[in-house]
Amino acid sequence: MLELRLVQGSLLKKVLEAIKELVTDANFDCSATGFSLQAMDSSHVALVALLLRSEGFEHYRCDRNLSMGMNLNNVSKMLRCAGNDDIITLKADDGSDTVTFMFESPNQDKIADFEMKLMDIDSEHLGIPEAEYHAIVKMPSAEFARICKDLSSIGDTVVISVTKEGVKFSTRGDIGNANIVCRQNTTVDKPEEATIIEMQEPVSLTFALRYMNSFTKATPLSNTVTISLSSELPVVVEYKVADMGYIRFYLAPKIEDDEDMKPEV
Amino acid sequence: MGIKGLTKLLADNAPKAMKEQKFESYFGRKIAIDASMSIYQFLIVVGRIGTETLTNEAGEVTSHLQGMFNRTIRLLEAGIKPVYVFDGQPPDLKKQELAKRYSKREDASKELTAAIEDGDKEGIEKYSKRTVKVTRQHNEDCKRLLRLMGVPVIEAPGEAEAECAALCKNEKVYAVASEDMDSLTFGAPKFLRHLMDPSSRKIPVMEFEVLKVLEELNLTMDQFIDLCILSGCDYCDSIKGIGGQTALKLIRQHGSIETMLENINKERYPIPEDWPYQEARRLFKEPLVSTEPPELKWSAPEEEGIVNFLVNENGFNNDRVTKAIEKIKAAKNKSSQGRLESFFKPSASSSMPIKRKESKCILGSPRSVLGPKAFTLQVCLCQSSRVGNLKLPSPVMDIRSHQMYARSF
Repeated sequence: MLELRLVQGSLLKKVLEAIKELVTDANFDCSATGFSLQAMDSSHVALVALLLRSEGFEHYRCDRNLSMGMNLNNVSKMLRCAGNDDIITLKADDGSDTVTFMFESPNQDKIADFEMKLMDIDSEHLGIPEAEYHAIVKMPSAEFARICKDLSSIGDTVVISVTKEGVKFSTRGDIGNANIVCRQNTTVDKPEEATIIEMQEPVSLTFALRYMNSFTKATPLSNTVTISLSSELPVVVEYKVADMGYIRFYLAPKIEDDEDMKPEV
Repeated sequence: MGIKGLTKLLADNAPKAMKEQKFESYFGRKIAIDASMSIYQFLIVVGRIGTETLTNEAGEVTSHLQGMFNRTIRLLEAGIKPVYVFDGQPPDLKKQELAKRYSKREDASKELTAAIEDGDKEGIEKYSKRTVKVTRQHNEDCKRLLRLMGVPVIEAPGEAEAECAALCKNEKVYAVASEDMDSLTFGAPKFLRHLMDPSSRKIPVMEFEVLKVLEELNLTMDQFIDLCILSGCDYCDSIKGIGGQTALKLIRQHGSIETMLENINKERYPIPEDWPYQEARRLFKEPLVSTEPPELKWSAPEEEGIVNFLVNENGFNNDRVTKAIEKIKAAKNKSSQGRLESFFKPSASSSMPIKRKESKCILGSPRSVLGPKAFTLQVCLCQSSRVGNLKLPSPVMDIRSHQMYARSF
């Protein structure tokens, strides 16, 4: 038996919009600690990890650990039928092959039940070790989205370099090249407009902009984004989901291309 | 070709050993491809209508080049690193099978001539397909093209499938791609089907893992080889009355061909007089392969060489070839993207699927979950609610799929 009631239903809608472009089918895992998802894109270059802690739900009941396979486009279709202020409840019975989304309007005058079929998804779970990152950049999420969009009109890849000066995003393409530098800036009126750079050592990595742009679909979830970088590790782009959890996107870096490059077999 | 009915046997008895994968998910992987099989397919399907084929000015067939060129580019664009393995000397035992194929081809040629005389279009289509033969020249052409494209080519001392399997066992490549189920019998740890199918067919790649096959069938590798020999392989005749299902039952019951021979009713199952199953077994277990694993290297394409070969010698369209070369170069750039698995390792998930299949078969022993019953259960679920992703793959070479192939070019 599973029953999750989320008063701020719009959060769930935004979460789905944020990940459905990257991943088509995924298993949602429910346990006593919370509602989570881990999935890779089809080429196994990017990974999304979602966590919504049980405390964030108004009511959270999960009798045993469950995993529910869903097509994210279909979930998104269901959730689009919920109003922005609706309360969303997720329900599933043991042994059933469906999940029910219940939408209640704020003043309780309309209740809608949407039942969706589950699917069997065979997915690999990756163990993500806790790591110390060389550099952590926290910046306004809209700013980051803008940078990714602008750079992708010029090139396919972005080099993110963090130095004492600040964080530099650069690209080059057929028509020319572009560099955007964001300096540390903590003297702002609102804390969410600050750019904070914590750096242990300088780092510079190359990533495919296509994936970065897909990550920025999570911008409506949070005013700030945290980018954690280490040389020889995937970058982590994290958006907080209110105060109940996060969406983290991991992206494998591009490796310098020399002729005798040895990709893993 | 291959092992008779093995795909179906596995689908029925070891469904968990087969996984549908997206083509894109092989991004960055090195894959060994059985070239002779691919060339054969190209000759059958690429640009062929009846007896008409793609040819150059001199009237020589170029379907294989067209197919090899386009399909390889598709792999490279997906970030896959292909290695083509060509057949060497066939083992003596296979000569019988080859002679059989040769005489079938002779028959087909006669039928074809008759069909052309009668103007029987269906007959022409049917028999011209059967007269297709991969010649030494076709192989040489493809090798030359691949080398120009910067794709590694390996010439196997013996059978290409065996060499592919050895490459995979030595972790030189991630998987073997072929349409021939032999690869599993040769023990390729990971074996892919439909990798070379055109994208327009939208058929997912079917991945087989030999370890899972053995686990699911509850057989050792030696027993699995015996099972394949009994089901019918290229090296010796099969016993009349024994197909895949019976073979599995007999091997499970007796453990090996020797004990089985001692115990079965020889009147019901007549053993062929000359039945070199031991020799066949040896060919599967210790096939002739390169002793020194070859160096695999992917290099930049030789533009001039390709244009010269395809456009000047074989009458390909210059614009198309130039565009295709651009694609190869662009793909080269893409291959520098890393995969997440090189940083994070798979771990076991702690959650249970919400539907516990075991709970539905509560009366059976745990083993029965793996049996055919569980499979049919999944098939029902499949039909009712898109649950499960198991489908019976179509036979390797059925006519329908060829027509679909042809249309896509």
